[in-house]
Amino acid sequence: MKETATTRTWLTPVLGVLALGSLAVLAVLGLWVAPPDAVQGDAQRLMYVHVPTATLAYVAFGVTSLASALYLWRRTRAPRWDRLAASSAELGVVFTGLTLVLGMLWGRPVWGVYWTWDARLVSTAVLFFLYLGYLALRRVIVDPDARARRCAVAALVAFADIPIVHYSVEWWRSLHQDSTLLPGGRLDPEISGDMLVALLWGMVAFALTYAYLLVRRCRLAAMEEGLEQRVLDVAVAERRAEAAPVAAPVATPVPAPVTGGGRA
Amino acid sequence: MTLTRRLRLRYVLPLAASLGAVAWLVAGPLRSNIEYFRTPTEALAALADGEDGRFRLAGEVVTGSVEETADGVTFDVTDGANTVSVIHRGSPPELFGDEVPVVCEGRWAKAGATFESDRILIRHGNEYRPPEVTTTSGPAS
Repeated sequence: MKETATTRTWLTPVLGVLALGSLAVLAVLGLWVAPPDAVQGDAQRLMYVHVPTATLAYVAFGVTSLASALYLWRRTRAPRWDRLAASSAELGVVFTGLTLVLGMLWGRPVWGVYWTWDARLVSTAVLFFLYLGYLALRRVIVDPDARARRCAVAALVAFADIPIVHYSVEWWRSLHQDSTLLPGGRLDPEISGDMLVALLWGMVAFALTYAYLLVRRCRLAAMEEGLEQRVLDVAVAERRAEAAPVAAPVATPVPAPVTGGGRA
Repeated sequence: MTLTRRLRLRYVLPLAASLGAVAWLVAGPLRSNIEYFRTPTEALAALADGEDGRFRLAGEVVTGSVEETADGVTFDVTDGANTVSVIHRGSPPELFGDEVPVVCEGRWAKAGATFESDRILIRHGNEYRPPEVTTTSGPAS
């Protein structure tokens, strides 16, 4: 009506072009510039997408936790933190799913199996279902403030799995290898040259993709909230009109549209 | 009222399913696989204690020990201290070979210190490098 509904902001075209461009460059770096691995051959190239998606899943859930904490703290409580938490969690689930699928595709030619029940794989699956549960919880609670508060607590609890996922390969024996960029928790990459460049570029490309999607998703969340509020306002107005039939005489020739089945 | 209730139920089920999946993963696979594999030394110690059952045996394939059989391969795995002979049924994965770190799934043969494997997983490291050894010193393989 007064404005066209869009998730576009001044930032989205910029981020969109940067994200697409960097992903295209990543394809070139990962598929052509970086050499195949001495042991694994071309299968190792999956690393350039598997590791960045995993890292961005961590980042996304980190942003969710931060936003959740900001909502829980009374001095900074604002609906936008709740929207940011929800939007980032959704992207985190997407990136975790991608990590799992890409990891399975990498595992089959190298390990010999798509899946094995080692600590890294299982804790990552747990992470996926924890935040899927968080997203489901968001739909169960109706009252906006109660939803925001309870989901913020749930998000902070779920975040406890992140260090478990990250250190699983050090704490327990696993088929999954130790971290390449941070082996033993130290910045001492076990990879170099064009391979390292492709890996780091992958991080940048997926970070830009995440940022682009996050801005759009947050805008969408704000619009959803506005719609929710409008529906609520209309419902309240209808009930008021119903409750006071005597006050409003038959002056107007019944223009009220039949919106939604009020009672069952 | 019933409508909102039904709507909420539609999301309570996925929520319950998600939490159920988490609980199952933690109580089942995570707990029973926290000791993902045993080294030859640990496996032999467990055998001496009379332990029986499936487990994973991890070690490095001893150079020159791989021999093809009618329905698979036999080889030795070592952790440096102890070595175990493995009889594997089925074709080993592509990257299988001398000095490759492997995880074998199976159990002890009835006769004793031979491991009967039905699945070999390759355990690769976290190091990556181009195929040709460039300028690093040491024997190029």
